[in-house]
Amino acid sequence: MSTRLAKWFTTLSPKDKAKIVKDVSQLVLARRTRMCNFLEYKGSPLSLLYSHGSFLTRGLDTKIVYRRYASLFFIAGCSSDDNELITLEIIHRYVEQMDKYYGNVCELDIIFSFTKAYYILDEILLAGELQESSKKNVLRCIGQQDSLEDMEVEDEVTRIM
Amino acid sequence: MRGQEIWRKRESIKNWQIFDGNLSGYHKKKYVCKLLYIYILGWNVDFGHLEAVNLISATKYSEKQIGYLAMTLFLHEKHELLHLVVNSIRKDLLDHNELFNCLALHAIANVGGREMGEALSGEVHRLLISPTSKAFVKKKAALTLLRLYRKHPDIIQPQWAERIISLMDDVDLGVALSVTSLVMAVAQDNPDQYKGAYVKAAARLKRIVVDGDYTNDYLYYKVPCPWIQVKMLRLLQYFSPSGRYSLNIVTKILTRRSEDSHVREMIRESLQKILNLAMESNKNVQQNNAQNAVLFEAINLIIHLDTEQALMKQISSRLGRFITSRETNVRYLGLEAMTHLAARAENLGPIKQHQEVILGSLKDRDISVRRKGLDLLYSMCDSTNSGPIVAELLQYLQNADFAIREEMALKIAILTEKYATDIQWYINVSLRLVAVAGDHLSDEVWQRVIQIVTNNEELQVYAAQNTLQHVKQDHCHETLVKIGAYILGEFGHLIAEEKGCSPIEQFMALSGKLSACSSGTRAMILSSFIKFVNLFPEIKPQLLHIFEIYSHTLDSELQQRACEYLTLASLPTDDLLRTVCDEMPPFPERQSALLSRLHSKHAGTSDKRTWVVGGKDANVDGSELNMAKQPALKRAFSSNMTANGDGAANGATNGTNGHSTDLAGLDMNAGPAAEKLLKAPNLASAAHLSPGWEPGYNKLLLKADGILFEDGQLQVGVRSEYRGQMACLILYFLNKTPATISSFTTTLDLDDSERANLTWDIKSLPDSTISQGGQARQVIMFESKKVFSKSPTVRISYLAGALQALTLKLPLTAHKFMDPAELSSDDFFKRWKQIGGAPREAQAIIGLVSGKEATREIHEVFVRKVIEGFRWGILVGVDPNTKNFVGASVLHTSEGGKFGCLLRLEPNYASQMVRLTIRATDESVPAVLLKLMEQRISAGVSKPSLTHEGPTRQEITDAFSNVLVT
Repeated sequence: MSTRLAKWFTTLSPKDKAKIVKDVSQLVLARRTRMCNFLEYKGSPLSLLYSHGSFLTRGLDTKIVYRRYASLFFIAGCSSDDNELITLEIIHRYVEQMDKYYGNVCELDIIFSFTKAYYILDEILLAGELQESSKKNVLRCIGQQDSLEDMEVEDEVTRIM
Repeated sequence: MRGQEIWRKRESIKNWQIFDGNLSGYHKKKYVCKLLYIYILGWNVDFGHLEAVNLISATKYSEKQIGYLAMTLFLHEKHELLHLVVNSIRKDLLDHNELFNCLALHAIANVGGREMGEALSGEVHRLLISPTSKAFVKKKAALTLLRLYRKHPDIIQPQWAERIISLMDDVDLGVALSVTSLVMAVAQDNPDQYKGAYVKAAARLKRIVVDGDYTNDYLYYKVPCPWIQVKMLRLLQYFSPSGRYSLNIVTKILTRRSEDSHVREMIRESLQKILNLAMESNKNVQQNNAQNAVLFEAINLIIHLDTEQALMKQISSRLGRFITSRETNVRYLGLEAMTHLAARAENLGPIKQHQEVILGSLKDRDISVRRKGLDLLYSMCDSTNSGPIVAELLQYLQNADFAIREEMALKIAILTEKYATDIQWYINVSLRLVAVAGDHLSDEVWQRVIQIVTNNEELQVYAAQNTLQHVKQDHCHETLVKIGAYILGEFGHLIAEEKGCSPIEQFMALSGKLSACSSGTRAMILSSFIKFVNLFPEIKPQLLHIFEIYSHTLDSELQQRACEYLTLASLPTDDLLRTVCDEMPPFPERQSALLSRLHSKHAGTSDKRTWVVGGKDANVDGSELNMAKQPALKRAFSSNMTANGDGAANGATNGTNGHSTDLAGLDMNAGPAAEKLLKAPNLASAAHLSPGWEPGYNKLLLKADGILFEDGQLQVGVRSEYRGQMACLILYFLNKTPATISSFTTTLDLDDSERANLTWDIKSLPDSTISQGGQARQVIMFESKKVFSKSPTVRISYLAGALQALTLKLPLTAHKFMDPAELSSDDFFKRWKQIGGAPREAQAIIGLVSGKEATREIHEVFVRKVIEGFRWGILVGVDPNTKNFVGASVLHTSEGGKFGCLLRLEPNYASQMVRLTIRATDESVPAVLLKLMEQRISAGVSKPSLTHEGPTRQEITDAFSNVLVT
């Protein structure tokens, strides 16, 4: 079990982060099928000092919302008052978005072009809140970035030639 | 890559000093990328940060992008390197390329703290409101501001409110969603400043849900943007519908919102549509989830509104089905929603029907569901069902998961105390609870049992008997021994006469536990023994023997105690002993430490909770403090041994971590809230009237219909009709700009002192977009409850490129509710005398306003027109002096009833003065009417013109064209 991608919307020490990742992974892996996609997770009292948004935990007196796609678990943390189902669908929207970009996404896509996975996430979630739910709009943003990058590569090539 | 390889790679990057500045951008990018990869795999990367961050200032987008990514992953908001990048970020915010703007915004949204916020929030705000900003920049700017606001609330300035709210109307749903997130966070702290968001959210929700106003991009498995629906529904919950259950003192101010029947109708329509849509079942998981997400949020709103009986009925029956659903998610959410209902409902009846099912949920295979079941049982418990519920919880506690035992035990303890109507029941359950859950019990629980027994005489005998029985058993939990030691020490003598409870038996029971206990418990037992020395002299030798043994123990604390007790017991007289072992005084009254402990678990979430788990009294102001009034426990007490954490109940409901002592915590919240209100300017109030409001207002004081205001961009017209105490006012807004104006918003306001005297109900709202040359209208009903002296004001704002806004006074005054009356001469004088002088008379001598004498004058035609305009019936042939005017009128109010009003005006045109006397059947009336007329008469009329008209339309237009108010 290893973490392929983590994004924190709260300021936490590396130690706290490691503890949360470990705890939450254990909790989620212990769940069986047909159980619900939500889970309570109480952080240590110390980390209660931090609050506010995150994908993979935002705030620590929190709920965990997770979903399994083949061998990959997508886990989001939200505050105990947040709407669970809508958080679950944020996960699904992210997965769909990657699917659309990579074309039939798999674990290796996330490993090999992790930067893109981060860029896509940044287009969907900002400050722990959903910023765009239209697949087309997100794709357009990422597309613009890609073409700018391609242009720069071309320039480079011409310069070297 | 295997671990070893990674390590080699990491070391090589470090040792080769590849970041020496001679590398090409491409190579730098490559190495930073490798570092990031190593970091993500979980390795410690504590070098190369500076080099990575330097990439931010590269000119190439791809290098910049990696630099920013590295920054968000390696650095955090307090990292020292952040100082170095603030200027690079600012540069990118100002760049013409929107993609660069976006990178900078992402960076701030990820690592921005207070310092960065103070330096850059202005630029972020500019990107949010600039008419040239693209939609994808705006939404990022909105969320970036949200992040900065959460880090440091002062970042968002009060005067930004109106502009930010107006963005909720943005055509782009992504922008609307992001801005709503921002507004939701800020409105929680400043509900009055952001009250405009309530109407906006209601209107937008209806447009999406009912009118289907969205593009296909935003359909998510056939559900129109569920995210924005959920956000809007949630936002509405932050405003108090009736003020009765307001969690926050500030939200009470918003109670008047409920008067707007149009808004209520919009919300009702949307909610009904959502409920109907959710009836259609479908197979697709995503669609189901999205639909239910919206549905459950709608249910929360319905519970919050608490006025929609029809909707409420629909949801209670549905919740019953949800908690038996085969789908675990739905069961979980059903229980949660029911807990919310229990937290608010007057009547728990509909929930109690399902008690069996809910108890059954404690045996669900999923711990998440079991937890929700526990929350619900805790919330739905009242004096009628506390017996079975507590019994069931106790039963379940024995097999419950470790993770939830402590919380369960705490909740059982609270319920037992709260609903204890029977002495024996309280003691039985408490002792059983300790026996079952001993290891998972926080100290507060057993300490509280002792306090309650100490403070309630009727409990003491029964408690002593029972604890003794428990302590006598071989297997007795140590916590029970603690309770036993204390209770027997204090109250053992009360049962000493009973069979099996003699002093020596009590002594044997306790001393038998000495060897197996921890030193803290042993100390308690020793203390109870010294009390025994005082109470039961007959067993003194046995007690002294124990003290002697323990005066040689290795534990220094125990040894000291034993020595001191031994000396105390061996003194020649027992005066000192008696004083020391005197009965304990009752514990002082304080908030229950149990509740503090429970609620402290809720502190520190990002958004404020709109409700807390617990019964209704947990959700009313003052929270659960009324536990102190439970009849069976003459008092409720708190531990003075665990004094910390008081006020946590307040902290929980308000989301603050306020520390306070005792109950004064309530005031802690009122303080800062009131300050904030003072700070926030209410732009809709009469203090902010726009220049040029007056001519139109003055003209309309005497007329029912006309133009209230006009400038180069907007014309505001008024039509009005009065019937008795009711008035119907229709406002017309004509767009004179050469383009469409959007986010058209109106807000009514009235001085707080007049709110009880004049009320209104908004029957329709103007469209938020008005095309060029188009018109929007708004219908408002006013009701004059009593005589009022200040007129309501309206704030109008709209986007025409930039935000335009103006505040106008509505021509709605007391005299508008008058009807001219006819009276004969005799009647007039009879009433005039009956009313008599002050206080039911007001009189003034009125001349022209100084400085105006040259251009203005007062003459008969003008005076007559004013009197008629103020809705007096002019009575002819009443006054012997024909120059004088007399008039009569009836003023209508709904609460004050009808008032008869009489007027006498004696002009002296030569000196340009008039004497005006007004009498009325109530003393509140004359002064108000006099003041209104005085203003009008003293303004006079312009000299050359004999026909008396105000400035023409053209004149007004010329005078006020190009007045831009922001």
